[in-house]
Amino acid sequence: MNALAEAPAPPAARYEDRQVLVLDLSRSMLAPLPEATGAVRQKIEIARAAVYQILQNVSRNGTRFGIVSFSNTPRVVVPVGEIHAANLPYVQSLVAMLTPAGRSAIWDALALGADLLREPTGEVRGTLVLVTDGWDNASSRFAPPEPNGAPRTDRADLLVHLAPPGSRLTVRVIGIGNGTERDKGVDSGRMGSFLSNLRALARATGVVATSSYQEVDTATELFEEIVQAFLDIEEPSPAELSQDDIARDAAQAAKALKSPNEHATVAHLGGPDALAPDASAPDPEGPTLEVDVVPTANGLLPPYAKDRYGPLGDAVNAYLAADYEGALQHLERARRLIPPVSYSYWRAKIALAHGDPSDAARALLSAWTASEAVSGPGRVRIVRRLALLQARLQKDTETEALVRFLEESESKVEQQPPEIRASLRALFDGLLELRGTYQLTRMGAADDPAAAARRHEAAVEQIFGGVQDLRLENTSGDRAVEGALDFIEVCLAEMR
Amino acid sequence: MVVPKAKGAKARAAARPSKGPVPAKPKRVPKRETSDATKIALVGIPASGKTTYFRFLAGHFGLNLPVLYLPARPGSQTIPLYGDLDEEVVLEESTYEATNPNDPEGGIETTTRFYVNRPMDDPTKLWVELAESRGEQGVLTKYPLPTKYSQFVEMKMRFRYGLPGERGRSSRAMLLHTIDEAGGIISDYFTYDRLWLDAADAEVTERQCHVIPHFDSWRPDRRGLWRRGLTLLGRFLQDAEAIVLLLAPSLPSLRDQAQQVNLARGVFRYVEEHNLPLVIAISKADKLPEFYAEVERTVRDRTFQSAFDSDNFLLQRDGSGMGTILVAHDGQAISAKQDVFLVASAVSGGDGRPLLISESGAALSPEEAESGGVPVMVNTTLPIARACERILSRRSTGDG
Repeated sequence: MNALAEAPAPPAARYEDRQVLVLDLSRSMLAPLPEATGAVRQKIEIARAAVYQILQNVSRNGTRFGIVSFSNTPRVVVPVGEIHAANLPYVQSLVAMLTPAGRSAIWDALALGADLLREPTGEVRGTLVLVTDGWDNASSRFAPPEPNGAPRTDRADLLVHLAPPGSRLTVRVIGIGNGTERDKGVDSGRMGSFLSNLRALARATGVVATSSYQEVDTATELFEEIVQAFLDIEEPSPAELSQDDIARDAAQAAKALKSPNEHATVAHLGGPDALAPDASAPDPEGPTLEVDVVPTANGLLPPYAKDRYGPLGDAVNAYLAADYEGALQHLERARRLIPPVSYSYWRAKIALAHGDPSDAARALLSAWTASEAVSGPGRVRIVRRLALLQARLQKDTETEALVRFLEESESKVEQQPPEIRASLRALFDGLLELRGTYQLTRMGAADDPAAAARRHEAAVEQIFGGVQDLRLENTSGDRAVEGALDFIEVCLAEMR
Repeated sequence: MVVPKAKGAKARAAARPSKGPVPAKPKRVPKRETSDATKIALVGIPASGKTTYFRFLAGHFGLNLPVLYLPARPGSQTIPLYGDLDEEVVLEESTYEATNPNDPEGGIETTTRFYVNRPMDDPTKLWVELAESRGEQGVLTKYPLPTKYSQFVEMKMRFRYGLPGERGRSSRAMLLHTIDEAGGIISDYFTYDRLWLDAADAEVTERQCHVIPHFDSWRPDRRGLWRRGLTLLGRFLQDAEAIVLLLAPSLPSLRDQAQQVNLARGVFRYVEEHNLPLVIAISKADKLPEFYAEVERTVRDRTFQSAFDSDNFLLQRDGSGMGTILVAHDGQAISAKQDVFLVASAVSGGDGRPLLISESGAALSPEEAESGGVPVMVNTTLPIARACERILSRRSTGDG
């Protein structure tokens, strides 16, 4: 690339670290939203509380953050920039003055938000989070294409404005209400077609675009969705990654499969018979494990965690607020009420975040041990959570890449038919098992290296056949499934 | 009996491309296709060297391309590969092109170029030239079309193979085939065995093509073109008696590396399932530093006999990244010692120009090279010769 030939530039902010909240300030945001407990709060009140929480978070982690609000017209409330402790009160006062009135210029506001994330060269890089409770009824400059893809002739094309070539964009939409009636909730159908057309444009132009739509109906949901949208910044998912990105991730993950001495954690992932370990060999990490930790796809608390986990929810909330002492206190109070493995897992997680890797390692070892008592269908996910945490603790990026991809892939195909999910799961298991046959060819562990190589190749062929069959079964062309299969193909190629 | 010889002037008819309507003054179409020719498929990923391999061999069969050969090992004998002068067409390139990439209803247009035998009264020119209109070029160039996604080229080259001292009388007509300018077609066909045809008139279906990643997202015209290419390749393979696999070392892209490994595995699967001989050529060997140094030494010492241990290089030092795969299949479809070759179509002089030597074998300086010289090319014919040898060996023993 040309950039390589130029003088070194100062490190640019990662695109994941630039976020803009596009907040609805139309009159309907004054309406109440029920709490799970039965209480009611105004939508704007909940949104403000969430923004305060976000500001606290971004002021600690250096994320560049901005706010665009909209009613009849959009306006920039907070330009994109780092939120420092010194200017936090000022920004908070700006947020306190946000008062709903008028109608909703949603599309124009998204365009303005994109402009805040626009590079000098025109690409849009960063995350846009739209929070709205209604239909667009006031935009005058921009509009997405019609649901059938036909462009609007009276406005500029919002999609082109959002995602010009070279962009890397995440768009998250949090819709309040189901919008079955106009002005009684977000227009979910229109929003769905907007995001669908955005993905189609991204595919056609090579833009990396991640998008999601989450409908919320309660105050708790709204608060947590908004906060998490700015905490839970994922890498582009397998469904949206380019094939080159998937190849890079797969090659990285394959290293974890190929070097058992350096990536011992992976041995836990493949099931009890995966590697047929030597029973006499000492296991440096203790017995294999399982856990009943919060079953999330990305290591963060899902919505309703507090409701579901009670005392643990308080610990997690404190953890998310970077109050690690408080998190530990809540965790200790919850200890009697939660499974041992959950306790140890969260203790390790909190200790690691608190900068105490020794305590984290001890707690994680306890979690592995406690996991032995857990069984059932959730075991695999629990093991992966522990493996992911251990990988982070050991700065083992290869294992982290592998576990994250397995988790994200499976979570993204949850809507697929059971047979597709089962096939994909079998392929993942087969991939993990290859670790054993590969080692036989590399480490002189076999008496007959040629025979070992043939066994390995036969195993590869079997998995490759499964990959082909699943591609043929995936008649919907689901991109998450395709991305997972691309990943497996490259992993197979690396295991040679 | 076939005796290689130059044809007379009357036999120099130029071929006309078959594209478009018949012109007002039709010219004679060269005689095509030798039905009883023994067929060999040349396969490799994009940019693995297929085009160069074809072009080099076409020049070789003309006998007058100035090339120096470095045999792989001491004791190598003359390689009995000859041009087929009984065939008017030595090289045939059929370009299949989507008529309009933007038109989902568009069709596929075919253009065929014939490279015909020429007399060798001008030894400075290649023996084969493109029939009609490109005669002035003197050398063969890459295809003029700009994109690789709206076209592919089916290439067929005719030659003869025979034992030394028995030229003509015992030589056999051979046909080398590849799908060029779209090596992805070859990669996909071998990688995904759900595409494999089982009859010479069978066709790869749209349904089968869904085994190709993201096939559904392709433009309709490209999907049709790809399916056509897969079908042509699959049909050719029904009659093929050997496969030559080109592997390129030092691939920079992870995707290219994966594509090549998957192709190689697919080819092994194919030849074992169909009981075919396989020969592997590691192309662009001049990119491998040790090999390059060895060639330079050989030229410098004027031995022209390479002692380079390609087996050791490939198996122990993983020169092509195929260690486990080769070990797994050694002794089945191939012998790693006898059927794997390192080839370089042109050895670099180290400063961005081909290495040229004088007739006495001395390397020429850049200034001296201006006035001529012999480019050093290494082992390029050996893989195809080995494939021929194995075919005939199997026939004589009734194997396969």
